[in-house]
Amino acid sequence: MHINYVRGFKENRLGRLGIIFLALILSIAFLAPVLTAYSPRQVSENILQPPSQKHWLGTNDLGQDIWSRVIFGARTSFITALSVGILTVTLAVFIGCSAALLRGIYERFVLRLIDIFLIIPNILLLLLTAAYLRPGPVTMVIVLSIFNWPGCARIIRAQTLTLQEKSHIKAAKTFGAGTFYILVKHIIPDLGPILASSFIAHARRAVFMEAGLAFLGISDPLLISWGTIINRALQYSYLNNWYWLLPPALGLSLTVMAFSFLGYTLEEILNPRLKVGKNAGD
Amino acid sequence: MGRKRIIDYLLALVIVISLNFFLPRLLPGDPLLSIYGEDALITMTPEAKVELTRRMGLDKPLWEQFFNYLSGIVKGDLGYSYYFQGPVLDLLLGALPWTLLLTGLALIISTLIGFILGVESGWRKGRLADQGLLTGFMFLNGFPDLVIGLFLLLLFGVVLGLFPLGGAMTPYSQLTGVSLLLDVLHHLFLPLSALVLTEIASCYLLTRTTVVTLLEEPFILTARAKGIKPKNIRYRHVGRNSLLPIVTRTGVRLGRLFTGALFIETIFAYPGMGLLIYRAILGRDFPLIQGVFFLVAVVILLINFFVELIYPRIDPRVKNNAY
Amino acid sequence: MLEIKDLTITYGRNTVIKELNLTVPKGDVLAVIGESGAGKTTLALSLMGLCPGNVEGQIIYQGVDFLSLPEPQRRLLRWNKVSMVFQDLNRSFNPVMTVLEQIMEPMLEHELLSRKEAQKKAYYLLNKVGLAPVKGQMYPHQLSGGEKQRALIAMALTNDPEVLILDEPTAALDGLTKAKICELLKEVFSEKTVVLVTHDLSTAYQLANRVAVLYQGRIMELGLTKDILKNPRHPYTRGLVRSFPTLDATKDLQGIPGFGIEKQEGCVFANICTQRIADCTKIIPKLEKRGEREIACLRGGVVNLLKVEDLTKVYSGVTALKGVSLDIEEGETVAVVGESGSGKTTLALCLMGLEKANQGSIYFQGEKIVKWNKEFYQKVQMIFQNPQDCISHRLNVLETVCEPLVIQKLGTPEERIHKAKKALRDVELPDEDEFLNRYAHHLSGGELQRLAIARALVLEPKLLIADEPTSALDASIQAKIMRLIMDLQEKRGLSILFITHDLALARKVSDRVFVLKDGQVVERGLSTQIFSLPQHPYTRKLLQATANFSDF
Repeated sequence: MHINYVRGFKENRLGRLGIIFLALILSIAFLAPVLTAYSPRQVSENILQPPSQKHWLGTNDLGQDIWSRVIFGARTSFITALSVGILTVTLAVFIGCSAALLRGIYERFVLRLIDIFLIIPNILLLLLTAAYLRPGPVTMVIVLSIFNWPGCARIIRAQTLTLQEKSHIKAAKTFGAGTFYILVKHIIPDLGPILASSFIAHARRAVFMEAGLAFLGISDPLLISWGTIINRALQYSYLNNWYWLLPPALGLSLTVMAFSFLGYTLEEILNPRLKVGKNAGD
Repeated sequence: MGRKRIIDYLLALVIVISLNFFLPRLLPGDPLLSIYGEDALITMTPEAKVELTRRMGLDKPLWEQFFNYLSGIVKGDLGYSYYFQGPVLDLLLGALPWTLLLTGLALIISTLIGFILGVESGWRKGRLADQGLLTGFMFLNGFPDLVIGLFLLLLFGVVLGLFPLGGAMTPYSQLTGVSLLLDVLHHLFLPLSALVLTEIASCYLLTRTTVVTLLEEPFILTARAKGIKPKNIRYRHVGRNSLLPIVTRTGVRLGRLFTGALFIETIFAYPGMGLLIYRAILGRDFPLIQGVFFLVAVVILLINFFVELIYPRIDPRVKNNAY
Repeated sequence: MLEIKDLTITYGRNTVIKELNLTVPKGDVLAVIGESGAGKTTLALSLMGLCPGNVEGQIIYQGVDFLSLPEPQRRLLRWNKVSMVFQDLNRSFNPVMTVLEQIMEPMLEHELLSRKEAQKKAYYLLNKVGLAPVKGQMYPHQLSGGEKQRALIAMALTNDPEVLILDEPTAALDGLTKAKICELLKEVFSEKTVVLVTHDLSTAYQLANRVAVLYQGRIMELGLTKDILKNPRHPYTRGLVRSFPTLDATKDLQGIPGFGIEKQEGCVFANICTQRIADCTKIIPKLEKRGEREIACLRGGVVNLLKVEDLTKVYSGVTALKGVSLDIEEGETVAVVGESGSGKTTLALCLMGLEKANQGSIYFQGEKIVKWNKEFYQKVQMIFQNPQDCISHRLNVLETVCEPLVIQKLGTPEERIHKAKKALRDVELPDEDEFLNRYAHHLSGGELQRLAIARALVLEPKLLIADEPTSALDASIQAKIMRLIMDLQEKRGLSILFITHDLALARKVSDRVFVLKDGQVVERGLSTQIFSLPQHPYTRKLLQATANFSDF
């Protein structure tokens, strides 16, 4: 089955938009130091200033340049998102695949663990842990991934089981291939689409959760996050400070949207029936 | 439902309770510090510290503390909130109805509208209506509830002044009957809309995807061959089968709604559990945090359990002892 | 009742049904048979107006053109006038509704009955198809394959339609269930007009009184089931019947070689038809009446290749052949069986012009043969009984095989070698120089006979006369040689006149048999009939003496 990913994305409007958004935010995050003269943490005496030539988006209650904070916030979101995505998927792959390949007691144990984890609303656990640990960036990534991998692992295990039955893997076994070889050369590549979808979904959730936790004040207060910016801005909302509120909100929305669009486009590519085309309802 | 599954639920409950209990106590340092936080500790007199330590049994061995904790839960004693100066249980029971109102209504409305729109959209896949709805909802789906709540608050509350900026009722108004109801609804409108808008998109997308896949099934052809009216095919055949994934995801959706409620209540100062947690976290009031988590976890676990119980009724292909 | 006029259905650039015309009188059960891809399901769906492709033409039910009606009106006719039993047993039911609900649904939907009445009728139908009432309360996945099929049938009958369409009603079932369902269907079919679509010829035989053979969207042959399936006249139908294993088939299975091309000018079957002529790829044959049936073939169906009329041969007082008449068609194997001295070899010699008959005529491809010339020998070849004798010891393999080409002065020397090598490959002999240089005395009996066959084939004849080709060989070699000859028939459309005294062997390879006794034909007929129900006492005697492992 040859799926042309590039063409799928090119043909899909939403997919193109998603890529554009992502590219935009990514470049802002990457070029952050270049795009501003101020350090985002630098306090000053010009507090609560509206936008001006010196400060494009004005200053906050600590006199920090809002524009700098917003663009550095992009970095936080992105790095968190990508790290969580990668870590979650990696964990899920190794646990899920090994469970499917090794079977026996190990598999049953893993399955039980996953089942139980899935019952518990992981968002609650996340909040609980975050509330106590006050996570910095690294802890944040670890905590977010720990509570995300079970769902992903279950899907991967199911898919690995199905793949295992395929004849080309049985053929590889008859040539004497070991478990690891099969895992790396056959199964993981075939899992590609699912891994990509999961990665996008979890990255998206991570952006959302990271900003949310920051908004609630649960994460490390020193972390520059869109969530904290919004939180602060809300407290001063009587000042009619759209310049403070809107940019981080916009950044957040665009990033989440970008991931959403990418995710949906991928789904459409893999399941062509979803495409807007010939309709069946007549 | 199989015994195994029930055990799974019990285990889940145990894990939640244990985590709730052990987490603060496992952190390094004075447990009183973890439980009550730095700020509270500073203002506490040494006598108060001793009293609290004794009362909370922190000087007793760990397993005895755990036992006391558990028996406390059973008796309904969830601890004492230092921040609010009151028993945790009372605070919870005060806030719970508001959150239930908000989340419950949001769940029902978003499911209803999302589902119906999803079915109609999927049925007309490819046509203008579908394309429009799809693009619209995809955009909507991209906004986190944070942003939507903010937007609604600013636009309708601040700028247009149509709705109150916070609270569930006008304070000290002492309204009764219909006017009370209207007042509550008036306050409820924006937060509810924010929550509904967030959730509706995912419901719609899930339904639409299911419907589109379902339309390829042979039994839809059978229904058409039988001369069934299109509307009936849409709902009796396609709709009924599309409900299944939505019901399965109820647990997940509730979790999402709760997170959403957390943010929305914070933005709108709506006196539900979300706002309670927020304030608790701000004030580092750990007994309250623990209490809220416990309650919410139990509620969600109960609902999940219930959904799994009734699922075989909806999908007869699932045997009752599937696990 | 039902008339299909010029129906053409396309999916994109693919034309699946091409200008189909068919009439189904009231009360008829018509089976549409063909292989997958022929367009059977598309046809079935279009009769309900449910075909997703582009449909042109007319489908007329009692005077009303279904296709010209707008969708809402079609919906009203569906299930009331014509209903369908679908193919996919597992997915044609809604998984979350009970069987009873689904059977009741069309009655309620079209507002024919009240809920109570509908339920009563649903139970009545369940009973009629042999399902216990309790099955109605169950969900589709809880029923077995056979039960699901019955439920589908019950559901199709709810609104008492006049026309029933069935799409492969027995495909997914095992043998015993198949039989029971066929029983049920025979009852159900009384008083209904039925169109039955299937690839299972035995189901068609049991249930249908008429049959239409569909190939690549066109009807090849149309007529009474008994006629068509027992005595197919169209080359495709013949190939279809030959490839279908039934208990009464005696000849080994043979396939239809090659595959048809999509964009076919002229006859859709021309590409793989072994009796095609130039016009076949230019002109589309229309269905024409020939006798009791209709055939779409420019040559009128399977043509006659050889006709022998009243052949008589006398050798100094001994009448070897007495008024023998027989015929051989394109692509068929005719066995001439009898004891030694019955005249079999004389017959072969007369046919080949090696002996001159005293009386009677021989026609080949419609023309009377008066002179046995090179043209004749290019088309008719013979294999003799004793391979040792019939190959010269002076010529090596290559020369042996090339000899006919040399005599006929066909091709350049290089072309001849090329053809010779191909012929050797066809008979599974090596074509390397080492082998080509060998002489006859270095070859085994089996190899020699193969060589003889290769030599006979190098001219690409239409008819091969095989006179006891394997009696001088061991049984295992015999099997291989026979296998080879049958394969060649399948691949090249070769007709074979197979002369033998071994009836068991004849049974395995022949379509028709002529029994020869003392120079006369005492019995003739289809192999399936002769070997199971021999009429003539002599035939019976021969059969009794034939090799068998029975304990009688």
